[in-house]
Amino acid sequence: MGRYIVRRLIAAIPVLIGLSILLFAYIRILPGDPCVAILGQHRTPEACAALRENLGLDLPLWEQYIRYLTNTLSGDLGASVINSQPFLAEFLTRFPGTVELTIGALVFALGAGIPLGRIAARKVGGRVDGLITGVSLFGVSIPVFVLGLALVAVFGVILEWLPTQGRIDARARFDATSGLLLIDTLFAGRLDLFVDVVRHLILPSIALGSIPLAIIARITRASVIEVVNEDYVRTARSKGLKEKTVDNRHVMRNAWLPVTTVVGLQAGGLLGGAVLTETVFVWNGVGRWVVDAIQNRDYPIVQSTILVFALIFLVVNLLVDIGYALLNPKIRYQ
Amino acid sequence: MKNLRIGAILGALLMVAAACSSTPVGKAGGTLIVALPGDIVRTDAALMDDSNTSYVIQQVVETLVGLEPGSTSKVIPVLAESYVMSADGLTYTFKLRSGIKFHDGTEFNADAVVFNYERFIGLPTELRDYAFYIGDIFGGYGSESNLESATKIDDLTVAIKLRKASSNFLLTQTLQVFAIQSPTALVLGKADNTETDVAKITAATGGAGAMVGTGPFKFVKWTVGDSVEVEKNAEYWDKAKVAYVDAIIFKAVAEEAQRVNGLATGEIDLAQTIAPATIAAIAANPDLQLIDRGSSFNTFQISMNHTYAPISNPKIREAIAYAIDYDFLIETFYAGAAVRATNWMPAGVAYAKDLNLPGYDVEKAKQLIEESGETDLTIDFWYPNDVSRPYMPDPKGLFEAITANLEAVGFTINPNSDGWREGYLDDENQGKYEMWLLGWTGDWAGPDNFLKTAFFGYKNGAPSKEFAYKNDALDKAMNDALAAGTEAEAKTLWETAQDLIRADMPTVPVANSKPQAAATIDLKGFIGSAALNEPLNLVWLDRP
Repeated sequence: MGRYIVRRLIAAIPVLIGLSILLFAYIRILPGDPCVAILGQHRTPEACAALRENLGLDLPLWEQYIRYLTNTLSGDLGASVINSQPFLAEFLTRFPGTVELTIGALVFALGAGIPLGRIAARKVGGRVDGLITGVSLFGVSIPVFVLGLALVAVFGVILEWLPTQGRIDARARFDATSGLLLIDTLFAGRLDLFVDVVRHLILPSIALGSIPLAIIARITRASVIEVVNEDYVRTARSKGLKEKTVDNRHVMRNAWLPVTTVVGLQAGGLLGGAVLTETVFVWNGVGRWVVDAIQNRDYPIVQSTILVFALIFLVVNLLVDIGYALLNPKIRYQ
Repeated sequence: MKNLRIGAILGALLMVAAACSSTPVGKAGGTLIVALPGDIVRTDAALMDDSNTSYVIQQVVETLVGLEPGSTSKVIPVLAESYVMSADGLTYTFKLRSGIKFHDGTEFNADAVVFNYERFIGLPTELRDYAFYIGDIFGGYGSESNLESATKIDDLTVAIKLRKASSNFLLTQTLQVFAIQSPTALVLGKADNTETDVAKITAATGGAGAMVGTGPFKFVKWTVGDSVEVEKNAEYWDKAKVAYVDAIIFKAVAEEAQRVNGLATGEIDLAQTIAPATIAAIAANPDLQLIDRGSSFNTFQISMNHTYAPISNPKIREAIAYAIDYDFLIETFYAGAAVRATNWMPAGVAYAKDLNLPGYDVEKAKQLIEESGETDLTIDFWYPNDVSRPYMPDPKGLFEAITANLEAVGFTINPNSDGWREGYLDDENQGKYEMWLLGWTGDWAGPDNFLKTAFFGYKNGAPSKEFAYKNDALDKAMNDALAAGTEAEAKTLWETAQDLIRADMPTVPVANSKPQAAATIDLKGFIGSAALNEPLNLVWLDRP
C-alpha cells in the first residue's frame, strides 16, 4: 500500500510542473499591457513601473519563471492588487466557508442520490425509475445559478421558509473562531445560531448538490443493476440469505467502487460549482472571492486561487485512488 | 408692560424650543443592513478613490466642511464651526469646534487638522496612486501641490494656505478623502507618511488604526470581500444627531437579483443602488420603498473626437443632437429614472444653466446635414461591451437605439465595441475613436469637475487627445473661473464657458440618470443624495 501511495505521489510531479508553467504564462499572455489590465483607469507611470518591478516583467523569461517558482514554493502567493490583502491569509479565512458548503452539498447529494439510485435500480423500467432518471437528468442539465435563484424565489421570497444569503444572520454579529460556523456556534453554546447556520446552509447545498446528486443517483443505479445480475449475487440468494443481507453485503459492497470514484471527482467539481453558488447566495467563501477577483481583474488572486484549487483537486484525486485501493485490493497489486 | 414683554419673549423662546424638539423622533436600536454593489477597498479615508469605500467611510470620519444632507453642492461647516477666506483667496482660516474627541479618545484640535493636511501634501510617491483625488484636486504633491501649508494659529484655529486662488477649494474639501483622522491612530497604523508599502499600512488594510474619526459611527471590523461593520458612537459630538441604530453592516451584494430578494425577505434593509430594470419590481412590492435621490449627479453623452470628418464639422454635430430620440432612450433604458440633459453637467451643479440643447427633430437634422456640405456621412461608433455604468445602464442597447436614430437621418454607422479595461478606456483616451459612448459621475458639484476635469479642459496646455476640441477662449474662461476671487466673478466666467461650449456642440449630452435606492418600508429618516453623501445616523427602523 505504501509503495502504491509513493507511486501516485511521484506521478503528481509532472502535473505540478505543467501547472506552474501554465500559471506563469497566464499573467504574461493577458491581452494588452498588463499594467492597463491590472491597474485600470487611475494608473500612473510610477505605479506601472512599480508593478513591472514587482512582477519582474523586465527580467528574461527563465529568470522570471525561477522567481515565480521560488516565491510560490516559499509560500509567497502574492497579494491583491485591488485592496493589498495577502492571498494566503484571505484564502484561509474563506476556505472554511467553501468547505462547509461543499460538505453540505455532498451530504445532500449522497444522502439523496444513493437511496434514489438504489430505488430506481430495484424498479428498473418502472414508473419510479422513470421519474428518478428524469429528475436526475433535469438536475444535471439545470445551471447552478438558475436553480439557486429559483430556490431563493420559492423558499426564500414566496414561502419565507429559509434565509437566502450569507452564512449566518448578519444581525447576530457573531465572531467566528475557526471559520467553520457549524462548529463555532456549537462551541460558543449558541444553539440558536447553530440552527440559523444550518438554515442558511440548506438552499445553497441543494443548489450546489443538484448536479452531483443526479450523477450519483445514475451511477448508483447503473452499478447496482450491473452487480445484481452477477453470479455471486444469484448464489447468495440461492443460499437463502435474507434480501437485506444480499443487498448490503454482496450488492452494495461491489456497487460502491464506481460510486466512490464519481464521488471523489464530484468533490473536486463542487469547488468549481461553488464559484456560482457562492455568488448567488452571497456566501463568504473562496468561490465568490474568485468571481470578484475576476471581475476586478485582480490577477494575483485569480492566479493563486487556480493554483490552490488545482492542488486540492490533485489531493482529492489521490485520496480517491487510495480509497479505491482500500475498497478493491486488486488495484494495489497491479 | 415690562412683564408682558418678558412674557412674550419667554413665550417665543418656548415656541422655538418646541419647534426644535418637534423634529421627527425616530426609534432607537436595531442593526441596519445595507447592501452595496461591492466591497470597500481600504479603511483609510485618504487612500481611496471608489464609491463603496467612501459610502462606508463617511459614516465614521468627518471633514472640516461637508455637504448639506440631500444637497450636492451646498457647503456646510462640520468639524469647522466657521471659516473665512482672505481677500486674495489664498488663505482659508478654519475655526474648529471644541470638545470633540476621536473614537480612540484623543482630542480633535488644530494639531490634528495640521497633521492630516501635512499628510495630504507629503504623501509618499508609492501611495499617490491610491489617493487619486488628492493629487487630482491639488495638481500634485509636495511643492507641486496647490496646497501650500496648514498652520496652527491656536488650539482651535487653523490656516490653510493655497499657492493660487481656487474657487472650488471649499467644495472639494467636502470629499471624504480630506477627512480628519486621529493622528495617534494614523501613527499607530503607519499612515503617517513613514511607510510606503500600502500592504503594511494597517490603517488602510483594516488593522490597527483603521478608520478612527469623529463621526456618528465607529469602525468595528472589515471582513474583506464580504462586509464591514460599524457601531453607534454614543458619544457623538452633535447630540441632536446621535445615531438611532446600534450598528450598520454593509454587505457586498454583487448580484442585482439578490439585492432585491434580500429586501423582500428582510435580510437587507437598504439597497444603496438598484438597476433601472428592477425599479418596476420594487414599486410593485408594498413592503418596499423606492428612493429617488431627487437630482442627478452624472452626464451621459455621445462623445466625439474632432480630428475625424465628418464629426469635425459643427453642423454635423448639431445634426446628430437633433437626430436622437431622447425620450425613447430615457423610457426604455432608464425606466424613467433619468432626465434629458440640458447641459454638459447635471442641473444641481453650481452655476449650471439650461443651455437649450436641441430636441428630437428628424427634419432639422436632415436640413443641417444638407447645410454642412459633407458628402461622406460614415462614422465609426464605439460602445463598451462588458460593463454597465450608473449613467449608462445598457451600453449595447443605447448604442443600437442611437445608431438607428442616426441611420434614420442618413448617417452610415460602422459599429464597433471593445472591453472597458481591455482597450476601450485607453483607446478613447488616446483619441483613437471618432464617436463613442461615455459619461461622467461627479466627484464634487463644481462645474470644473464636469466641464474641465471630465470633458474639455486642456491637457498640458493643448486640447486633450480624447476630444481634440480646440477652444482657447473656453480653456481660458475655465482657468480664470477657477482662480476667481469672488463668487460673482466665478459665476460670470462659468456662464461664459457654458455658452462657448453650447455654441460649438463639441459632444452631444443625452441624459442625466438618477440611480435609485430601495429599502424596506419601515426604514425611515433616510435623506438621499445624488452625490451619495448619505448620513445613516439619521435613519431609523420603525419595527417592533
